[in-house]
Amino acid sequence: MTKSSSPASERSTGGKLWEFFDQRLGLSGILDIALHKTVPQHSQSVWYFMGGLTLFFFLVQIVTGTLLLIYYQPGGNAYDSVRRITYDIDFGWLIRSAHSWSANLMVFVLFVHMFSVYFMKAYRRPREFGWWSGLVLMVLTMTFGFSGYLLPMDELSFFATKVGLEIPSKMPLVGPAAASLLRGGPTVGQETVHRFFALHVVILPALFMLFLTFHLFLVQRHGNALPPSEERKPESARRSIRFFPDFLLKDLAMWLIALNVLGLFACLYPWDLGLKADPVASTPVGIHPEWYFMSQFQLLKVLGNWFPGAVGEVIGILMVTISGLVWALVPLFDRSSDNKMMSRVGTWIGILALAGLIALTVWGYAAL
Amino acid sequence: MNYPVWDVPILGNGLVIALIAVFHIMIAHFAVGGGLYLAMAESRALRTGRREWLEFLPAHSKFFLILTGVFGTVSGVGIWFSIGLAAPEATSSLIHNFVFGWAIEWVFFLVELTAAAVYYYTWGRIPEKLHLKVGWFYAIASLATLVIINGILTFMLTPGQTWLSVAGTGSEPDVFFAAFFNPTYWPGLFLRFLSCISLAGVWALLTGSLIDGRQRPELKTDVIRWSAKWLVPGFFLLPFCMVWYLWKVPTAQVELAQLGVSTIGAGMFTQVTRTVLISIMASGTILAVVYLAAYRNPVDFRIGFALGVLLLAVAATGTSEQARELLRKPYVIVDYLYSNSVRKIPVHRGELVVSEVEQFNKDGYLTHSIWAKAADARTVQPVPSDADEKPVTVPSDLDVTRGKLMFRGQCMSCHTVDGYRSIRRLLAGRNEKSIHNILGMLHENKEDSPYHAYMPPLVGTESEISALATYLNGLVVKPIE
Repeated sequence: MTKSSSPASERSTGGKLWEFFDQRLGLSGILDIALHKTVPQHSQSVWYFMGGLTLFFFLVQIVTGTLLLIYYQPGGNAYDSVRRITYDIDFGWLIRSAHSWSANLMVFVLFVHMFSVYFMKAYRRPREFGWWSGLVLMVLTMTFGFSGYLLPMDELSFFATKVGLEIPSKMPLVGPAAASLLRGGPTVGQETVHRFFALHVVILPALFMLFLTFHLFLVQRHGNALPPSEERKPESARRSIRFFPDFLLKDLAMWLIALNVLGLFACLYPWDLGLKADPVASTPVGIHPEWYFMSQFQLLKVLGNWFPGAVGEVIGILMVTISGLVWALVPLFDRSSDNKMMSRVGTWIGILALAGLIALTVWGYAAL
Repeated sequence: MNYPVWDVPILGNGLVIALIAVFHIMIAHFAVGGGLYLAMAESRALRTGRREWLEFLPAHSKFFLILTGVFGTVSGVGIWFSIGLAAPEATSSLIHNFVFGWAIEWVFFLVELTAAAVYYYTWGRIPEKLHLKVGWFYAIASLATLVIINGILTFMLTPGQTWLSVAGTGSEPDVFFAAFFNPTYWPGLFLRFLSCISLAGVWALLTGSLIDGRQRPELKTDVIRWSAKWLVPGFFLLPFCMVWYLWKVPTAQVELAQLGVSTIGAGMFTQVTRTVLISIMASGTILAVVYLAAYRNPVDFRIGFALGVLLLAVAATGTSEQARELLRKPYVIVDYLYSNSVRKIPVHRGELVVSEVEQFNKDGYLTHSIWAKAADARTVQPVPSDADEKPVTVPSDLDVTRGKLMFRGQCMSCHTVDGYRSIRRLLAGRNEKSIHNILGMLHENKEDSPYHAYMPPLVGTESEISALATYLNGLVVKPIE
């Protein structure tokens, strides 16, 4: 017996509820889109999970960040409040460790996502704006990391920020003004914490949500890109699975694994707190930025040693800026598989960027 | 007395034991659960005419044989080797109490290994019913090893009042069964059995993920879904068994798990809480991952996800085992033998009844240490009492040597200089006086001391403790080694 023609009075409570919300929110339309959306299945499908994983770690950032806000006090009490969170409040250490580790894991999977998108040539037409919005999200994520790093105001975070802010101050014309604006004065201090706090919890999240929505809209609009090896196959040889619920539930499984990885890091290596920063003390030996800034830091350090005065740093800043521009503009010259030469140039730029990033980061740590 | 000849820099010998043990348990539990899995799977295949399973099972049993017969066996010997070096006193106590238990376990182990080899090499060579009997024979033998070893493992946490009342008298063999069927024996056995069958499912998911889902969709679906179900009993019953288990563990030991709720402060023994948290999280999510990634879409379940499931199983099993070990602090055998290999209970030596704590405090720890005499005879000479009164300004070589021997004897079973539970990090920022004060607290071991719950009493004369403080201060101020 079929129930498809049952009158409304015979429908289950769930059916009535669905109808209530559907009529008001248009859920059928959303479900229809989700049911028709598919995700390609091939040997490189694993990379499709990376964007979702980045989103997962961002959501962890929001939840744990909100909980930290309950006890964190920017300004003069910053260090003491973080100390209380870490050593006094029940599971405060867990929330803080999860926040710090998920930030690092978010940056890591974001890099993996970016390079996988790059090598799958997913920046090509019509996905250029997806690439650019992704790059903006990456810059925002790294700024999140930089601004959040200072907030505990312990020795390491204080001096790393102090050294970090000296870099933009070397930029021609706008550098000193930009650094002063971020610092809120001539030196890093309480004012800086207030500014970084505002940046970290208000300005950056607002911008991030904006670009994230745009980015997800584009992903929905254009779907998942096929890597060139799959593109070459005839359509009949390609396989795909439904986005809803099949891919989404696999994504959820991946999120649960990621949650465990995060838990392992947070519990096995809880984020400790150093000594309270002493602004009048000299910079301790070996102060360095977070790992995701290490390659730029090392480049500037090396060029600073090779060239006299500020010349090396200016050259370094220019090199980083130009590299970033080339990276962003790749979709404009590597536009299709038909242009074999430009396709190869695009691939080689990617290999060079990845190798350079890893080599400079390793070199940076080795040189500490 | 301990024989601290084994110095593992950075890791420390305790962590080496833990790493080998977790590796071993992942395989040993598979050896037990996997035996049942193979026998039940073959029986099901024959009963229901699933002939294609008879193509999958030989491959799975080959993996099983290699993993358990090679890696399980080697790591089992590794445990013996490492505990013998790291905690000879405790190992000796266990052997003296359970020598027949172990002998029986080894017999079953031999039967198990032989049956596993026969089972694999006779696929298609002997009648199917006989082959299945070999499978059941293996399953029963491997289960018997668990039944035996569980008695010895649980004994270390809960030896029970009956055994403790005769411990050190030489009459321990009279209460063998009381020690074997100790308070946590049954909950421990159920916990391990559930863990075994869960791990059988996890490892089968790993080999099942290698089946080509495009070529053999029906076989893969059946294998993955059936294997996934092996995690269900553990998921639902383990929490109840855990409550039962903890109910039988002394309150003082259970309370250790709460030390890290509010802090990660160094030296507060907070890692138990964190270890328990990982165990709860991994155990609580693994079934959901298996359902979402494997059960719902078995044809596309690949090795990557299978390794993810294995990672969760390693996290759940490894941390549960570590938590169980940590809950024994400050003992190796609760209420009997401290983690620095000093006995809490007075022992009978001929006509005498000797308290090791009092004896070492009176005569000196190093005086009773054969290995210390071998290392440097000067170190064990009693120091004149007026030497204790002298303020230490420049440490003599002898002080440092004696301090180092104290460190090797009483600290090194848990601490390293620079790595795991680094003594240098734990004492950072303290001067010699402050270190001496801490050692004094450990020596007195008062009930209201913050260290009482997880640190054993530091034994030795005042001059030995001062020598230890001098040595440790040297580590903190500048590297000696």
